[in-house]
Parts: sequence; structure tokens; C-alpha cells
Amino acid sequence: MTQPIDTSIYAAVTAAIQGEAKRILSEGQVTAIVGYAAARRKGSAQPIVISQPDDAQKLIFTPACVNNLAVYLTKAKKEIPKTGKIGIVVKGCDLKALAGLMGESQLKRENLYLIGVPCAGVLGSTIQPDTELTSDSIAPKCTECNERMPPECDFVPAVQVPVNQGLEKKYAAEIARLEALTPQERWAYWKEQFSKCIKCYACRQVCPFCFCEQCLCDRNKPQMVETTPRPAGNFAWHIVRAMHLAGRCAGCAECERVCPMDIPLNLLNRKMAKELKELFEHEAGFEVQEKGPLNSFTDKDDQSFIK
Amino acid sequence: MHPEKPKHDFEPKIIAFVCTWCTYAGADLAGTSRMQYPPNVRVLKFPCTGRIDPVFILKAFQQGADGVLVSGCHPGDCHYIAGNFHARRRFAAFRKLLEFVGVDLNRLQFSWVSAAEGGKWVEVVTELTEKVRSMGPMVEFKELALEEQWSGAIDTPELKEAYEQI
Repeated sequence: MTQPIDTSIYAAVTAAIQGEAKRILSEGQVTAIVGYAAARRKGSAQPIVISQPDDAQKLIFTPACVNNLAVYLTKAKKEIPKTGKIGIVVKGCDLKALAGLMGESQLKRENLYLIGVPCAGVLGSTIQPDTELTSDSIAPKCTECNERMPPECDFVPAVQVPVNQGLEKKYAAEIARLEALTPQERWAYWKEQFSKCIKCYACRQVCPFCFCEQCLCDRNKPQMVETTPRPAGNFAWHIVRAMHLAGRCAGCAECERVCPMDIPLNLLNRKMAKELKELFEHEAGFEVQEKGPLNSFTDKDDQSFIK
Repeated sequence: MHPEKPKHDFEPKIIAFVCTWCTYAGADLAGTSRMQYPPNVRVLKFPCTGRIDPVFILKAFQQGADGVLVSGCHPGDCHYIAGNFHARRRFAAFRKLLEFVGVDLNRLQFSWVSAAEGGKWVEVVTELTEKVRSMGPMVEFKELALEEQWSGAIDTPELKEAYEQI
């Protein structure tokens, strides 16, 4: 059953972001702000970096503001953080990624001015940008989101965010479905999914946590993962990607959104997050944690699988 | 002198990733004590189980291993203080991932074998070899390695339709 999702707060959020951006830029508190601006297609949005107070009016927040802007502070725009204190517009899921990056010493909290966005959800990756937000067109990650109000930001628009109306949890349902299959059926499922991969590495490019200067998968002496888009290499790449993100992934689902072949990449990430929560009681959250679950240990960890 | 060797239809290939301080010494002890264990196991020596990246296991399967054994020092005995504690967490997570993509976990064995446990090494290797032998060859990863490019084939209705529309 399709139910509409209340996005009436987004207009107030947009106005508040613009006002705050103008204030902090003209007061010189930040040198630049990473945010969303309207793009050329009707209803669509794209990331923008502004440094002039007059440009603050370009900032918007709509259901089409799907990007996780945290990635602009790590690799593609590496020079941005060096120019001084940076403002960034963050949804709850993006803030988790920023907290993870701070925990891994990639960013410093004092160099950031966080403009938190109360978010009722954004559109799914295959939906046209001017579509109305409903329980069908919403991004799957938003159906599982309980953190619609990002905490501990420098500025959050004073609006009341509607609570999650008990939408069907799409990832949890899909994981449960796959877990109920036999290993052979699961292998067949992932073989088919990974067979679509064209090794464009968009998932790596867009992930805030894939910030290695040289990726293991690009190395050729020794070559650990075949680089051509052939079955063996595809499989290895996606397993390595899921393994390297285990315990770090903040669940922004950008990998899945940018995948041109629509491979359900976030399923692997959600599955690992679920397992790590069960095994080590670790969850990606808003607090900055110095150690993740896979670079810390206790002497009481489960070793029932080890002889 | 030697006991009669049974003939088998299938000899599995087992790759053992071992740590140099405990399990390698344990396997050495088994050898110097003249204990018999299956010759199916190929031992690869690493400084520590903490050095063993999950991608090594993938690579082993892709290159034709039917079973993989990862073995190192008992918790608390690591030469590098905590390498095996980290490995324990990493492999616990990696097992769950492999299970989710449909790999039979019976082909993957982890164990702690100290330098004094030559007998345990023999036991672990024999058991894994027999288990994998009864399961037959690991075909999934080998098929992947042999298959040609999938993404070049226009074999789904959506792709065909998109291709027609160009």
C-alpha cells in the first residue's frame, strides 16, 4: 500500500539553511559550505560548494538531495578541508559517515561546521527527481532510518520532523529472504547480481570510507583481485569491498545509489552491520569511536568456530 | 614398513595458512616425530595469523583449493601480543560474509595449534581432508575463474529492450 510521506518541513529547512549559510559566510566563520543546489532537471538537486554569502540563496533541501556530501571532504575535493573551517549540510545518515571519518582521523570536528538537516526521507535511486515522496518512491535506507534529527550539530533548523511511520524495512526483509535460502540458491543469486558488474568502481569512488590512496584492488604486484570485469574478479571485488567496509559502513547507501547496474550493494553492507552487531555489539552511530569492531578485540570473543 | 595407502577417487587440495611461531612449528614437530598426515595439505607460512588477509582465502579458492585451513597460536600466545585476537574477529566476520554469498563453510577451517601440538595438527589436517574429500571438489570458484565476461552478454529482457531502443 502506497502511503504519502510528509515533506512539508523541507521548505522551512531550506529557508533556515540559507539564512544560516549566509550568516556564517558573511561573519567569516567558515570559508566554504558544501550543500545542495537545484540542478538543471526539474526537481533535481546536485552538490555545490559555495564561498560567497550571496550564493547562500542557491542552497536547497528537497527529497532529491540524495548525495552523501561527506565524500567531498575526503578524496575528490581533498583541497577543500585545507582551506579552513568548512560548513557542510548533513542528513542523519551522512553525519554517521562523518563521525566514522573522525574516528579514523580523516577529519577533525573543530574544522567542520555542521548544518544538520531534519530529514523525512529522500527519493530512491531509480526514481525521477520531481516525483512525490511516498512509501514506494522513498530510498530503501530511509525505511530503516530512526535518526531523522542529526544530534550535536552546530546548527539544526527548528522544525518538528515527522516520525518514521513504520514503513516496511526493505533491507531487513531482503536479508531475511536471502538467509532463508539454501547456500546454492544464495550463490546463484549473488553470481547473477555480480555478473552485472562492469567494474566502473563508482561504488568505491562515492564511498566516504574508501579513502585509501592506493586500493588493494588496483595493485598488481601481487595482484589480489583481478581487475577486468570477469566473474572471478567481480566476485572478489565485491567481497573485498564488503569486508573492508565491515564495521565502518555508516549505511548511507551511496554505493547502491550510484551503481549503474543496480547491484544491491548495500545489502552486503547491511548484512555485515547486522552480524557485527550480533557478534561484537558494535553499531555505526553518531558518537566518534576511536576503534571499530575489527581493529579492537576482547579476550572473550566468540571462538566456537575455531578448533 | 609403510602402512598400505588407500586409493581414493578424489584427492582434495588443501591450502593451510599457518603462523610461523606456533602452527608451523607444530607441523614441523609432527614431521620430526614421524607422525603421518595426508599429503593433500600445502602449507603457506605467514608471520602471524593477523597477517592473513581474507582475500588470501578467496584467492586460494579461485586458484583451485578445495579446502582452506587457517591456523595459528592459541589466544594469549601470539608472538606479536594480539595478532590472533584481531584475526579471530576478522575471520568471525569473514565467515558470516562467505556464508551470506553462499559458500559452504565446511571447506574453511580455523584452528589454534601450538608448537607443542604436533598431534593436534595431524588431527586437524586429517579431519579437514576427509571432510573435504567426502564433499567433492569445490567447483563454484573454479567455474567463476573459467567463465568469460558476463556483463558483455545481452541476455536479460531489460538489457535487450534497452539495446533495441538505441
